[in-house]
Amino acid sequence: MNKPSTRQAILVYLLLAVVLIVFLTPIYLVASSSVKPAPIMFQKPPAFFFTPTWEHYHVLFTERPFLKFIGNSLIVALGSTAISLVFGSLAAYAISRIRHRRMNDVAFWILSLRMFPPITVVVPYYIIFKTAGLLDTPLALIIVYSTANIPLVVWLMKGFFDEVPSALEEAAMVDGYGIIETFWRVTLPLAAPGLAVSAVFCFIFSWNEFLFALMLTGSRAQTATVAVMSFWSSDAVQWGRIMAGSFIILIPGVVFVLTCQRWLVRGLTMGSVK
Amino acid sequence: MSSIALEKVVKRYGAFEIVHGIDLAIDKGEFVVLLGPSGCGKTTTLRMVAGLEDVSDGKLSIGGRVVNDVAPKDRGVAMVFQNYALYPHMTVRQNMEFALRPLKLAPGEVDRRVRETAAILGLDALLARKPSALSGGQRQRVAMGRAMVRTPEVFLFDEPLSNLDAKLRTQVRWEIGKLHKRLGTTILYVTHDQVEAMTLADKIVIMRDGHVEQVGSPEDVYTRPANTFVATFIGSPAMNLVPARLMGGKLQAEAFTLPLPDRFAGRTAEGQAVLIGTRPSDVTLTAADNPGALRATVEVTEYLGDDALLDLRVGLHEMIAQVPAANRPGNDASVHVTFNAAGLHLFDAATGGTLLS
Repeated sequence: MNKPSTRQAILVYLLLAVVLIVFLTPIYLVASSSVKPAPIMFQKPPAFFFTPTWEHYHVLFTERPFLKFIGNSLIVALGSTAISLVFGSLAAYAISRIRHRRMNDVAFWILSLRMFPPITVVVPYYIIFKTAGLLDTPLALIIVYSTANIPLVVWLMKGFFDEVPSALEEAAMVDGYGIIETFWRVTLPLAAPGLAVSAVFCFIFSWNEFLFALMLTGSRAQTATVAVMSFWSSDAVQWGRIMAGSFIILIPGVVFVLTCQRWLVRGLTMGSVK
Repeated sequence: MSSIALEKVVKRYGAFEIVHGIDLAIDKGEFVVLLGPSGCGKTTTLRMVAGLEDVSDGKLSIGGRVVNDVAPKDRGVAMVFQNYALYPHMTVRQNMEFALRPLKLAPGEVDRRVRETAAILGLDALLARKPSALSGGQRQRVAMGRAMVRTPEVFLFDEPLSNLDAKLRTQVRWEIGKLHKRLGTTILYVTHDQVEAMTLADKIVIMRDGHVEQVGSPEDVYTRPANTFVATFIGSPAMNLVPARLMGGKLQAEAFTLPLPDRFAGRTAEGQAVLIGTRPSDVTLTAADNPGALRATVEVTEYLGDDALLDLRVGLHEMIAQVPAANRPGNDASVHVTFNAAGLHLFDAATGGTLLS
């Protein structure tokens, strides 16, 4: 590639600046509002300089068990991510490797599970979990989120498994390994970037989900997203607390993505064959 | 006892049969090459021995044990793949150790074997590298090393040199030959390159369309080809074949008549349609007054250095002669040629089989 000229460089940085402003403004608003005293919250023009207050955070953790809601969210998100990765990648491997003329139909059927609007199944889920005695438990949400996450994992991982050359698996089999060990020691490590991508998607979806969490949990298994909305009541909207809760909710997603990032490198299979 | 034995081994995909009942016995320590054009079933046969393809019918044994239904991991074979199939997420050392882990050896023994193999193949300095940081020739050696550390009963090679450039191919070919002499392990080797087959093999198995056409030493298949397929497949340029008929004890072609060499006496019938086979090197230029000299026209001369190839037209027949490059005739020259009677082959025109069998 040619070295970009100064003019091109300026243009690129300008574009980047615009993109950054668009993406970072909401985050700035959440962060600044979470430490803004209530009286100047909606001042026009917005106050950029003010003495920050920790009052909203204080209320969040003293008057409400917000730490417990965060804990619930973590249990649900990590649980669903783990289950979805295990079952999703095993199913994806089968679909990728078994040659059968109806295999594409199976794959499409799995994808179709994601096609209905979630709201249509809220009531059926409610009835099922009420009957099973699982209402207001993390397990209920783990099950619901996994049914949504597994199809995604299957499709993502199928693509990654398709790219692992079958010669590598044959080599492992001749080298003395059975199919499960071959999958575990050769195929899966080579599809690690796919696992990382899948994990990020599963975690973020489960962490942010609101509708099912609202309908299927009460006080015990309530997740952070639902807890934040409880500051929005018919007589008052406590914006400071909502913003403080929202800012805390942002953090685990960022940490999780950064943790997975080092696995998100492609090209790991380079140099294996040819 | 043979090291590998195939008895009427068949491979079918659905109704489509691609290997039609192969019989083959490979002795312990033998270097056997499966040779044939692409699609002849040689790789499929090798993969059946490795256990990567099911045997549809027949019996396959390794070391005296029938292994039709034995998983690849329990067959005691090691394989070098055409594209090397090195594990990209492991270093060279880990690649070799990975192949040893199922043997459950003591850690010291694992280390000793890896060092020893690396020393033999000159991989010492590369042990910490990942496959992506190796050249093609180095990857090839690592693939061999990974197979060697296991000290298997049988080595399987699937066109191991086809991804190397010509110069490296010659060098690695030598190394494989030396390794076989040193290790003495049974080797089954697949290639479509007749030079590899001729130089490496104790025994060549020539295959076509899922059938074995001939099994024999390199000299056997070159000097005593069983049929016209083998005759034209082995040797470069290919053997000339001229249709003829046996009339009154002579070979009567369209453009010339040859006396029937003595060794074919009693093997032919009067009036039989045959194909006369001559290697290009057995077609020699001669003086016009030499008895048996045939008039020929040189259509094209190809200069090769020491030798030249002449595309000749002898009457209606086209053939190739390989002659010393010095004093070679030019294009369109009119020359006289003669065939070396000792190198003459005769095949039945209907079946293609040799008349010398």
